[in-house]
Amino acid sequence: MHIPENYLSPATCAVMTAAMVPVWVHSVKKVKEELPKDKIAMVGVGAAFSFLGMMFNVPLVGGTTGHAVGGTLIALLFGPEAACLGVSIALLLQALIFGDGGILSFGANCFNMAFVLPFVGYGIYRLIAGNNKEASSGRIYAGAAIGSYIGICIAALCCAIEFGIQPALFHDAAGNALYCPYGLSIAIPAMMIPHMAVAGVVEALFTVAIYAFVRKTSPDLTYDAIRLENPASGSKKGHAPIFALAAVLIAATPLGLLATGTAWGEWGADEIAEISETGAPLGYTPQGMVDGFAMEAPMPDYTLGEMNEVAAYILSAVIGTALLVIIFKLLSQALRGKTA
Amino acid sequence: MIPEWMKKTEDYVPPADGGAFYYRTLKSLGGIMSRLRLESGREGRFSLPAGVRLLLMIALIILVSVTQNNLVIMAVGAAVLVRLAMMSAEDISAVVKAVLVAVIMAVVIFAPAVIMDPARLWNSLRVVAKILISVTLVGIFNRTTQWNHLTAVLRKAHIPGTVIFIIDITFRYIVLLGNLMQDLLTAVSLRSIGRNDKKYNSVGGVMGVTFLRGTEMNKEMYEAMQCRGFTDDYEGL
Repeated sequence: MHIPENYLSPATCAVMTAAMVPVWVHSVKKVKEELPKDKIAMVGVGAAFSFLGMMFNVPLVGGTTGHAVGGTLIALLFGPEAACLGVSIALLLQALIFGDGGILSFGANCFNMAFVLPFVGYGIYRLIAGNNKEASSGRIYAGAAIGSYIGICIAALCCAIEFGIQPALFHDAAGNALYCPYGLSIAIPAMMIPHMAVAGVVEALFTVAIYAFVRKTSPDLTYDAIRLENPASGSKKGHAPIFALAAVLIAATPLGLLATGTAWGEWGADEIAEISETGAPLGYTPQGMVDGFAMEAPMPDYTLGEMNEVAAYILSAVIGTALLVIIFKLLSQALRGKTA
Repeated sequence: MIPEWMKKTEDYVPPADGGAFYYRTLKSLGGIMSRLRLESGREGRFSLPAGVRLLLMIALIILVSVTQNNLVIMAVGAAVLVRLAMMSAEDISAVVKAVLVAVIMAVVIFAPAVIMDPARLWNSLRVVAKILISVTLVGIFNRTTQWNHLTAVLRKAHIPGTVIFIIDITFRYIVLLGNLMQDLLTAVSLRSIGRNDKKYNSVGGVMGVTFLRGTEMNKEMYEAMQCRGFTDDYEGL
């Protein structure tokens, strides 16, 4: 579910990152209030745990394996806010060290996997397992399984929507998509079918297997135990604002994305004629815009100037030489490896 | 006198269901651990400060992502390739591997769109080129940056001390808990011969023990910090 670079437009990435800022601020505040000083480093443990959990191959039918995201599990063990921070840090390291997920799309990836997934998963777990210590094991495990399954499916749906709105919002004059080329009608089934059929099942198995182990061996370490021990810190009231925020953000994000499609004052010269200020369309394109200085020179229907051809020629020579050096170095390394 | 059974050739083939997931997990863990431990990035004597390189990388990624100008994409691509060509063969092959995976994935994703509408070919190629450049940029940055320099940059950028502390701790715990997971998985795979019908128990066990050990280590670390005079002031660390 890690969205790589350039599948989402920079505008979408900016909106998603902006949406994450209040969530991060809330999480840092909540974790500082809720966790005793000696447990601050537990968020680091949670991040490392989330990172390693994504490496763990869960056995599936017929010898195949799949890996889980583990967002709901981290929320069950560390609390949803600590999970949000932990998964965010794990995603940051993955983007920076392993190139898993883009750097610009970091905000979008965090929105799906560090925000929607743990909060939805934990919310559903709470609904099913209830809020008291006497909940039966069956209810708790059902809550963990259903919560993690729905959590990852909703996260995948958010991801699919982010992909799916790209071609409608960001395309060139000919209607060709500039980023992800598939609309909602393709992106949603393409993301949802594998997640509902396979990834969701993996996530649920992974969550229940580990949560059951921890509950059996040291039940005092789960977030439920910490929360019930210290009712002031983890009361239901404490989570209400973040769930409200989640609802508002989920509802508002597509609107924000739609709005960025035609930012005020950023119309192209050919669009300006359709802008209506007083109710009626403008009906003409200001002459200054037609003849004015164009920053973006080589459009498809724009003849490349002589300078640009020279520049392109020089650049191709540079690219060709660099590629040759790279291939040569790789070949010599391979040969050296054989003779050694 | 050799007994008859000793003369027979052993033809025992373990059942196919031997827990391939142990090996796969061990393999992916091993890859990660070696990258974190051994190849933490080599900085040349005259290389730019890590912060400048981080900003430069992000600026170039944004530029490539925003621009629709083929010449700009080409220029950044040329610069990136020249920088890559200057690196050692070892580093190049590591970067090229990551780039190939990303590009192949991109081609697979964009191919149906191009087949449905061939007019999209040039646009799709442009996006693939952008992906290639971005992934190469991140790869070069990894190979040339030491991790402790990056946390120093975050401190300069006035990120709260608590967050930097957590990021630092995360690094250490990935290595520590990763080693623990490797040991646990090796132990489990050595002990489970033939069919193992309790695979899911071992998933819970391995990750569960990792979690318990993590909380334990966290407690020990806090106590060790206190013994050395830590006064709960994460900002001043």
